[in-house]
Amino acid sequence: MELQLRLALSSNSDEGFDLNNRNQEQQVEDCRLMKKKRCFDETFGEIENVQVPQTLPLLDHIDLCVPGYGRNECDEEDGVVGWPPINSWRKRVCHQAHHDNRRGCITTNYVTVKNGGGGGGSGGGRSKSMHIKVKMEGVGIARKVDLSRHHSYQTLTDTLSAMFGDEKVQAYKLTYQDKEGDWLLAGDMPWGTFINSVQRLKLLRNGY
Amino acid sequence: MAYSFPEEVLEYVFAFLSSDKDRNAVSLVCKSWYEIERWCRRRIFIGNCYAVSPQIVIRRFPKVRAVKIKGKPHFADFNLVPEGWGAYLYPWISAMARSYPWLEEIKLKRMVVTDESLELISKSFKNFKVLVLSSCEGFTTDGLASIAANCRNLRELDLRESEVEDLSGHWLSHFPDNFTSLVSLNMSCLGSEVSFSALERLVSRCPNLKTLRLNRAVPVEKLPSLLRRAPQLVEFGTGAYSAEIQTDIFSNLVEAFSGCKHLKSLSGFWDVVPAYLPAMYNVCSRITSLNLSYATVQSPDLVELISQCPNLKCLWVLDYIEDAGLKALSSYCKDLQELRVFPSDPYGAEPNVSLTEQGLVTVSAGCPKLQSVLYFCRQMSNAALIAIARNRPNFIRFRLCIIEPQAPDYLTLEPLDTGFGAIVENCKELRRLSLSGLLTDRVFEYIGTHAKKLEMLSIAFAGDSDLGLHHVLSGCESLRKLEIRDCPFGHKALLANAAKLETMRSLWMSSCSVSYGACKLLGQKMPRLNVEVIDERGSPNSRPETCPVEKLYVYRTVAGPRVDKPDFVWTMDEDAALRLS
Repeated sequence: MELQLRLALSSNSDEGFDLNNRNQEQQVEDCRLMKKKRCFDETFGEIENVQVPQTLPLLDHIDLCVPGYGRNECDEEDGVVGWPPINSWRKRVCHQAHHDNRRGCITTNYVTVKNGGGGGGSGGGRSKSMHIKVKMEGVGIARKVDLSRHHSYQTLTDTLSAMFGDEKVQAYKLTYQDKEGDWLLAGDMPWGTFINSVQRLKLLRNGY
Repeated sequence: MAYSFPEEVLEYVFAFLSSDKDRNAVSLVCKSWYEIERWCRRRIFIGNCYAVSPQIVIRRFPKVRAVKIKGKPHFADFNLVPEGWGAYLYPWISAMARSYPWLEEIKLKRMVVTDESLELISKSFKNFKVLVLSSCEGFTTDGLASIAANCRNLRELDLRESEVEDLSGHWLSHFPDNFTSLVSLNMSCLGSEVSFSALERLVSRCPNLKTLRLNRAVPVEKLPSLLRRAPQLVEFGTGAYSAEIQTDIFSNLVEAFSGCKHLKSLSGFWDVVPAYLPAMYNVCSRITSLNLSYATVQSPDLVELISQCPNLKCLWVLDYIEDAGLKALSSYCKDLQELRVFPSDPYGAEPNVSLTEQGLVTVSAGCPKLQSVLYFCRQMSNAALIAIARNRPNFIRFRLCIIEPQAPDYLTLEPLDTGFGAIVENCKELRRLSLSGLLTDRVFEYIGTHAKKLEMLSIAFAGDSDLGLHHVLSGCESLRKLEIRDCPFGHKALLANAAKLETMRSLWMSSCSVSYGACKLLGQKMPRLNVEVIDERGSPNSRPETCPVEKLYVYRTVAGPRVDKPDFVWTMDEDAALRLS
């Protein structure tokens, strides 16, 4: 797949996009980098009559969400600023709880949890999960899928169908970004190899 | 011809009017009533600090003793208002320092407060009594030190959820030794440790202390000492409620809590160790308000605590409570009026707890007095919402946040229009509503048709077209605040309902489709509105007129365009339109 690096100027449409109309992927990176809020284009999904050429993100995938960066200290907040609507006080508690979760306990070390952490599913065991961002071209909101729950491309496609709609997923092709930052077509590699190198997923319209 | 009452009698009668609505009505009767009323109004509420200027307020009401001012729009809580937007307190304090020397109370929400302002407050108002800073920012503990040192008659210092630059805990030690008037202290948002002995002495010498909300830095083993010194406490917030379990700490706590026969409200509970919760069981039967929203404790422990609180009226809790815990709540707490369930892991893709729509259905069925709900969950159905609406037609506040944007009814995959429609149709007294999930223009049709008492509406990722917004603006007669994000609303509904905006406090729209040209037009048409375009991409003139603005904040005002705008805010007015076109 030949990859092109360029900025595309928007064609004139009724909505009147700004001159910075770029590939949505790139916009998410830009938004995070410049502390911008969600860009207009992300919000409304499919933009009619506009050819969005295939471009690479201009920026490397840098983890910009370091603590203290801007006011957004919670590094799990991906994609949408200010959603879910919880204020900074609660975010700090969530951050704490999430860390505790990862360590496998809700409470401090001194007292064991009566319930053993089972049943409600709020105990540990999340350290093996593998949440990968999935974006569908034309859809503003990225989702996340836990790849550790899948063992084949088939089950993954089934889950994506449930998330984005069956007809859509069938009509799109699944690509992924590997550890080197390259975008490749999913399905060529054995599942095991794929799992080890996938960083994020993207569903692209056929024809590009 | 009717005799008119002497002024003094009228003034005496007006003194019994506490509601602003009543006083406003009275002042419209005739000129002399207007005059009498304005000289005896003691309390002012300013819902939007930019709707009026300090000068206008002072000119009309020369003898004010208490002010309450709100600054930034609500969505500032979720980082949607860029830093530096405004809402500065200083101009208000500097004006009031000159004109209201007898000012006693300042209550603020979402304002930028500096140490300079705090110092000016502490030195200007000799009888200053009450300072409440709710979700404010811009000050440090040095400012608090000024207040502590200089406000000899201070009764209330409440910093709820403010962002304070915490230089040290030393500020508390600035309360003089002969200072005894404290009634309420809420320092829960502060990070650093205050001198514990100074705190103990302060608590000891203030016999009227009714509210004490500590910060996280106060460890659990120190609580008994404070509780013993203040057995008259009505509201208490712990610090970190964790420590290595030791029997003497536990028994001290039990004894100390038992001594507090008037405790009604508990909060705090950071880092809580469940084994310490039973220390409070002795007071639970009187507890009416419980804030466990920082307590990372599992459902069974929560249920054990809640089951001891039959008089509970207000519960804030994390979703660790799960459906099972909410079921228990609905059976033990028949007096429950307000419930808030916050997400423990809002950014996780998968649910980490077993909390679903069922929990809310159960509580709405079992708690006949439930009237106010804030509920975060991951799935919802129209059937559940309809059941909730039928169970609980007495809702006045209904805020539902389904964590995934545009999530449909998980059973039918349909939009949640009919569910929310049932809420507004059944809950005729509904004043506040927050929507979420997959919603079309239809839900707005229901809202416009039925939600006649609705005052505040929050919308996100919803609707299909301007028709949706039009339903709301044309139908909701009582609407005061409307906040919208990420919806496909353009300018048509706005311009068609421009006059409506003058009857409201404010409108917020971000990541929608309102063009710059439309904003200019609105600003031109409506001189009594401030139409603020907030755009961090640079001047809107550098883009086509049809280009949508990032954020739009429209509010009615008698003060004209504000003069303290940062460089990413433009007010659309006649002059601007001419200048920029």
